[in-house]
Amino acid sequence: MKKNLSDEILWDSLKKGNVEAFSILFKTYYASLYNYGLKISKNETITEDSLQDFFIYIYEHRENLSDLNTIAPYLFSSFRRFIIHIIKKSKKNTFVRDINENIIDIHFTPEELITHQESKTFQNQNLPKLLNKLPKRQREVIYLKYNCNLKATEIAEVMDINYQSVNNTIHKAIKNLREDVAIIQLLNS
Amino acid sequence: MKKNTYNSIHDFLNDTSFSNWALNKQLSDVTFWNYWLENNPDKKQIANEAKDILLGIKFKPTPVSEDKINFEWNKLEAKIKASKNQQIDNKKNNYKTWIGLAASILLLLSISIYFFTKPNMITYKTAYGEVLDLKLKDGSLVTLNSNSSISYNEKETRKVWLKGEAFFTVDKKEVSNAKFWVITNDLEVEVYGTLFNVNAKKQKTQVYLEEGNIWLSLKNGTSKKMKPGNFIVYSAEQDKILEEKKSILGTEQTSWKDGKLIFNNYSLDKALSKVTETYGCEVVYENSESKNILITGAVPTTNIDICLKAIEKSTNVRIIKENTKLVVYNK
Repeated sequence: MKKNLSDEILWDSLKKGNVEAFSILFKTYYASLYNYGLKISKNETITEDSLQDFFIYIYEHRENLSDLNTIAPYLFSSFRRFIIHIIKKSKKNTFVRDINENIIDIHFTPEELITHQESKTFQNQNLPKLLNKLPKRQREVIYLKYNCNLKATEIAEVMDINYQSVNNTIHKAIKNLREDVAIIQLLNS
Repeated sequence: MKKNTYNSIHDFLNDTSFSNWALNKQLSDVTFWNYWLENNPDKKQIANEAKDILLGIKFKPTPVSEDKINFEWNKLEAKIKASKNQQIDNKKNNYKTWIGLAASILLLLSISIYFFTKPNMITYKTAYGEVLDLKLKDGSLVTLNSNSSISYNEKETRKVWLKGEAFFTVDKKEVSNAKFWVITNDLEVEVYGTLFNVNAKKQKTQVYLEEGNIWLSLKNGTSKKMKPGNFIVYSAEQDKILEEKKSILGTEQTSWKDGKLIFNNYSLDKALSKVTETYGCEVVYENSESKNILITGAVPTTNIDICLKAIEKSTNVRIIKENTKLVVYNK
């Protein structure tokens, strides 16, 4: 994901209604938001439609948007809220008070992981299974940190939790994975 | 400087020298930490945890195709433009609520009228050897080539259905940014205001853009942007793009509207097939070798006798008209 000074300029031009700037924004972030949305909704049509509506929302409210230095965390967090809202609406049986964490249930597939992981711990063919065994929140943190390459402060903004709990969640996730890998190795030996 | 105490995992993670060891980056740090861990075996586990956090889990990139992104952007841009118009309309109506009310009653009335009288499709058709200049209600100009037809809904003149070939000069609607569509069996052309040629003869559609920008939505669902000079041939039946050129000689594509067919080093076979498209006849060769004679020049589209004479002269063959057949003899 690109992050640089031009973010600020791009955002500023967008707020002034520059369609060219909006097109750059759209084309830069479409792929990563699409993949994130697909992870959350598991449905291509819902993801495409939500992204269309989401970008229209941004364009229509551009004048009221706050100034930004980096765009990615803002887009991720607002799109996350946006698509959750749409999914909630489409499911009639969910309660209004249903917390977002219950909806975001990211699953990993063997195809999306690199077979030869840099860390020896993760060079395990059961890695996708072990990842999917983690609690939902840990899975989302893993996805945002290692797939979307967001910083801990940015993940905190996206998931609406504090910086310290992002770090703790990452630690717990990695610790869990290490333990699971150790158990598997013990059983296989 | 290295700290003296490393107790929590954060102590390790916040240490650049440690992360150099984890990522195997700087030899001095690597050596130091290997030595340090030898001497602090109780810290090994926590250090390895920190290492795994730094190395992380590697994902394959999951790109979204550029075509898809462009397609989605195109969709979005159209919606933005539409909503702008809506806003302008809303502003106009805001301060005259009563007029709005009256308008809605009128709308109800017109809807019922619409359903009782149903919109008429207007169709223009040309015979062989005939070229027709049309001006649509919105001011756009259409030149319809021979043996072609164009239809549109009386109420929606900026959407036309084309069979055969036509050249369009679409008036740009600056205020409303309204689009103009040309629909053939193979594709849809989406425009804001430009000059372009569409030829939908022979189970395929050729589009040549002279000026401006247009979007094509092919029947197979993909969309394509065209720039001036671009030429594309697409067939829905074969589901593929048969020909695509960045820049071609436009006069060859559009000369028919000036009453000429231009042959630029064509074989007689290719030239005569153009002639038959225009005049609707069948070609028979006495000697099939003459098909390959090359011809360069221009012939008229509205007078078959002069047309054939011109071809005879430059290729040294005799062409005899027998009812709907053209028979080519060697001299």
